Amino acid sequence: MTNSLNDMRHAKSLIFIGSNAAEAHPISMQHILHAKEVNNAPIIVVDPRFTKLAAKASDFVRIRPGTDAAFMLGLINVIIQNGWQDKEFIETRVAGYEEMAVVAADYTPEAVEEITGIPASETVRIAKILATNRPTSLTWCMGGTQHHIGSSITRTFCILQLVLGNMGKSGGGTNIFRGHDNVQGATDMCVLSHSLPAYYGLSDGSWKHWCRVWDVDYDWMVSRFKEKKWMNAKGFTLSRWYEGVLQEEKIEQYTPLKAVIQWGCGSNSNSQYHRVKRALDMLDLYVIIDPFPTMAAAACESDNVYLLPCSSQYETSGSVTSTSRQIQWRHKIVDPIAGCKDDYEIMAELVKRLGFADKFYKNIKQVPEDITLELGRGSLTIGYNGQTPDRIKKHMANWHTFDIETLQAKGGPCDGEYYGMPWPCWTTEHPGTPILYDISKEVTKGGLPFRNRFGLEKKYDSSGRTENQLAAVGVANPGCEVQGGYPEFKDVVPGTNWKTDLSQKTLKEALRRGMAPFGNARARCVVWTFPDQVPIHREPLHTPRPDLIEKYPTYEDKPNHYRVHTRYKSEQKPDLVKEFPLVLTTGRMVEHMGGGAETRSNKYLSELQPEMYAEVNPMLANNMGIRDGEEIWIESPEGGKIRVKAKLTERVDEKTIFMPYHFGGVLMGRSLAGNYPKGHEPYVIGEAANVCTNYGYDIITQIQATKDGLCKVSKA
Amino acid sequence: MSRSRIGNTLGCGAENGARRVTLNPKVARRSFLKLSAATAALTGAAMTTKMTRKASAAGKAAKEAHPGSTMVRSVCTHCAVGCGINAEVNNGVWIRQEIAQDHPVSRGGYCCKGASAIDMVTSEKRLKNPMKKVGGKWEKISWDQALDEISKKLTTIRENDGPDAVHLNGSAKVSTEMAYLQRKFAAFWGSNNVDHQARI
Repeated sequence: MTNSLNDMRHAKSLIFIGSNAAEAHPISMQHILHAKEVNNAPIIVVDPRFTKLAAKASDFVRIRPGTDAAFMLGLINVIIQNGWQDKEFIETRVAGYEEMAVVAADYTPEAVEEITGIPASETVRIAKILATNRPTSLTWCMGGTQHHIGSSITRTFCILQLVLGNMGKSGGGTNIFRGHDNVQGATDMCVLSHSLPAYYGLSDGSWKHWCRVWDVDYDWMVSRFKEKKWMNAKGFTLSRWYEGVLQEEKIEQYTPLKAVIQWGCGSNSNSQYHRVKRALDMLDLYVIIDPFPTMAAAACESDNVYLLPCSSQYETSGSVTSTSRQIQWRHKIVDPIAGCKDDYEIMAELVKRLGFADKFYKNIKQVPEDITLELGRGSLTIGYNGQTPDRIKKHMANWHTFDIETLQAKGGPCDGEYYGMPWPCWTTEHPGTPILYDISKEVTKGGLPFRNRFGLEKKYDSSGRTENQLAAVGVANPGCEVQGGYPEFKDVVPGTNWKTDLSQKTLKEALRRGMAPFGNARARCVVWTFPDQVPIHREPLHTPRPDLIEKYPTYEDKPNHYRVHTRYKSEQKPDLVKEFPLVLTTGRMVEHMGGGAETRSNKYLSELQPEMYAEVNPMLANNMGIRDGEEIWIESPEGGKIRVKAKLTERVDEKTIFMPYHFGGVLMGRSLAGNYPKGHEPYVIGEAANVCTNYGYDIITQIQATKDGLCKVSKA
Repeated sequence: MSRSRIGNTLGCGAENGARRVTLNPKVARRSFLKLSAATAALTGAAMTTKMTRKASAAGKAAKEAHPGSTMVRSVCTHCAVGCGINAEVNNGVWIRQEIAQDHPVSRGGYCCKGASAIDMVTSEKRLKNPMKKVGGKWEKISWDQALDEISKKLTTIRENDGPDAVHLNGSAKVSTEMAYLQRKFAAFWGSNNVDHQARI
């Protein structure tokens, strides 16, 4: 989130696309509804399904799954055609606007209607609501990202906000509601196969930076790898690791995967789960570290599986980063229950046995505080260095002193600081940055311009125009030494820059001059390293509209996409819809979380939502002779097939099936209850929706496309 | 759908029936379909109120901390809103969960998941022993045996097939410090085969 949940109280309108906050983030609703009731802010919900959030909306727009980019480009086009764009903001703080506008011009309301199913008049009407109720807070979740063009869709959201001038403003922003409790913190630490912590990437410079932080010899680090080239190569991802086991797709690694450690991660959130299951059975070693057995323990039916019972997060301590980038200290409530160990202890025991404990724990004596300090020392890119354990704990102890509207402490020990010191928090005196890219505040007081990350000027491929990438004259935070754009800081300490100067002199020097360490630039609409430099619509791989493939085709196949060959063009088969006529989409329910290992083992929540189901429109059900509560088979093009109860509801239209993805413990009609350790099977088991989610991965991130696949339904 | 049917779904009806959930029989008697009707989010909220009411029905004692108790401030482990939790701990046992009325984000609010956070610790479904599957059966083993065997196997795979033969699926459910250790572990192990839920 660029802003915070509390800051949404100041929005004059709100638009949610592929987010069902009422179920997925229920407690955020008090701030959202405050904006609705106090500011009279319209709430626009764009979704294929009439969700519980839609029930709270002023305007519901039903969209065909996977066509979000087209709708956004349509809104942008209408805004530009009517002159509703924020001209000053665009001229001074945005790059590549003209090149983007040329692309958006193709998305007329009529063209958008053809792609999305949204009436042309609705696109115009929604654009006008946004234009006349600024600032708009824009929120998306996995409904916006889990597509093969997810990285393009999310960019259209950002561009819409730039065009409207809603960035860096209270009540505006791009406010992605993150899913898991610490997915923001874990993302920031880059438990990701393409980067070292804090988004440093995998270049030699990044490895050298982190080796300095870890105080280990770079050459020793190189020696740990098979060959040096594997240090710089992106690894397998959570979406497709199992291809490295199955080897049915071409993989780009010198060995298949033989062992997998599954640490605090439910396996049934993977699409094509029946294929994941086959991979589990082929592993030489599978280690599950979790408080509950998870579906993986039941789905893996070979030997060589170990279950290590780690404690819950209430039985250990450490920091967690909320969706608002706030860092809170999760104090330990009780010791690990008998027989369990906390994650830190399990890690220490493993590392000791694997023989690199002395190097791994060189700076770490007190756990977890010394780890907080070490990761902060290295994570300069995102300003994780100012939030020391002492400061975070002080905020926790004084959470009652923070103002609800601003999240700033009024008096008390944290006076003037923002709750949780939202990153970047550049120094131990910095109050945190409550709103990203806000030039109305001094940088030392939580203000920030856009980052200079992509050079000083650029000649665009599409237009041949060259544009200065720095912000225009006059755009600067109060107190800034330079009244206009400036590049990122480097060579304050010779040979280093603001990201690699571990002495942090560079950061302090920048702040002393009232400047942002990362420069002051423009936000760009053109990304010249992406296949779509300006985002466009491309039909879902498995589309119900094969007539649109010619005009909006997918990408060429991509070899070696995170070590796996990935099909695009060769997978987009126009005839698929004949056999699989319905669109399958998935989502959350309030009572469960993720793959459900925790919540389905919670007696209260199990009682509230005890059964897997699929939502089917009554028109479709009646035509097929399916009665409410009857069992049906849902089948995917990949051969996944599950048996679930039909819930007849007009929340979905007659072309769409919806399923919650929290269930597990039943696999393609077969109960796996007996496979769990006796007495540890969850209270509630059910078919995993992800058995039926389709093939399809984003061209940049490899996120799985679980929101726009195809399926067929038959009576069980 | 009644609760006894849930037991049947699990394939362990009698055993499960003996441990029936008794939180709110009224809710349990309702049919599944009614439960998942459009008001289910509110049902969750209603349960919270009932839990609170039940607690206050116990009288003055419920309002006051047990003698010798401490109140620990913590954070809910479900979604990323980051709701505050006030946990009452007595003699090392988490005995009650109080709403965090003065938390600047959640302001005393809980969904049904947050309201039932205590069951993360108290659930009888929690694993309490390392286990290993042998001949298709789960066997309880000691921590030392588990960690020794896993480390030996990992080392053997590393020697025979290389460090990239191992993949770590890490977590968005652990602390930032632990997530950092997971990424650091992969680096020190010598592979970029590490990822977590943020990917999807």
